[in-house]
Amino acid sequence: MLPAAAGTRYLEHVMAEVLARSVAISIPAEVEAVFQEFRTCEFTTLARDGTPITWPMLPFWRPETGQFMTTTSIGLPDKVFNIRRDPRVSLLFSDPTGSGLDNPPTVLVQGRAAAPDKVNTSIGAYEKEVKLVYRRQPSGAMWSSNPLLRWYFDWYFMRLEITITPTRILWWDRGDLSASPRVVEGADVG
Amino acid sequence: MWAEIRQYLRLYPSAVLSGRDSTGRPFSLRCEPELDDAARVLRIASPRGVELVHGPASILCHSHNLFLWNLHSFLVRGTIELADGTWLFRPVRFVPGIGVGGLPGMIRFATSKRRTAKHYLDRRGLTRPKIPWAELRAIQVEANPLPNPPHKGEGI
Repeated sequence: MLPAAAGTRYLEHVMAEVLARSVAISIPAEVEAVFQEFRTCEFTTLARDGTPITWPMLPFWRPETGQFMTTTSIGLPDKVFNIRRDPRVSLLFSDPTGSGLDNPPTVLVQGRAAAPDKVNTSIGAYEKEVKLVYRRQPSGAMWSSNPLLRWYFDWYFMRLEITITPTRILWWDRGDLSASPRVVEGADVG
Repeated sequence: MWAEIRQYLRLYPSAVLSGRDSTGRPFSLRCEPELDDAARVLRIASPRGVELVHGPASILCHSHNLFLWNLHSFLVRGTIELADGTWLFRPVRFVPGIGVGGLPGMIRFATSKRRTAKHYLDRRGLTRPKIPWAELRAIQVEANPLPNPPHKGEGI
């Protein structure tokens, strides 16, 4: 029999999976195209004093679970510290530069994030995502292009994984903020 | 701080305002803040469907080109309040991001993040992990076989 804490964690995991699938079923194709093709999103976490802090991030949509995965360097750990204290986050997809999409919707995803304290340097677990980043950002290879830069920027390649489970998705057709957004709610919004 | 906001905000056609909705969740929207030099606030029109409430907020400006390069960003922390149908953003702190301050700014940025990474590892008693550079290089070549010729000193 599982200890109570482990049982609770297992139930939370199952609930998150169920919720993620229900959200994945509900979103329309034009919104999913934004998740797949936008190069960046504006990722917000809540600082200790409650201020929402937003920085650009490279999100990876995983339609099989209905979740987003992203990573941050241990040299930029504030967003991870924020998530461990308060898991409420948002991702705004409002800059279509480089996406190739014509008049895409603006999309806001509100959700809950998890950021385990495990420093990753392995390529294997993220091969698909790393390849996609270098395909979209070929000049990014510069940071590892010679011994000096590899020494100076090694911290950039020490990554912490962040998984975001959407609880609510709002979108404005063609990015028209003068209209009311359309909304999909998850089961545990609030 | 106001001088930095004036200097950098004008470089961007729009910005992202982040606040919180009535349930406390983060809520962001793209907007076009207008500088009010006299009051030292940013004025932001409030579109329909926006669920922001008064309180702590931030404004992010960022940009990249078609190939996700020429990265620039900065953040301003502050507070928002609604006055006559317009949001007033009162700045508290300017936070430079990538691409602010030219080469000296970049060196300061990278040196500071290298120090932060060391602190992260030290606090957990972890040794500095090795990066699999050769594996990374192979992925780079596979992703972009033509634009990236092999670099000298590979494989250390």
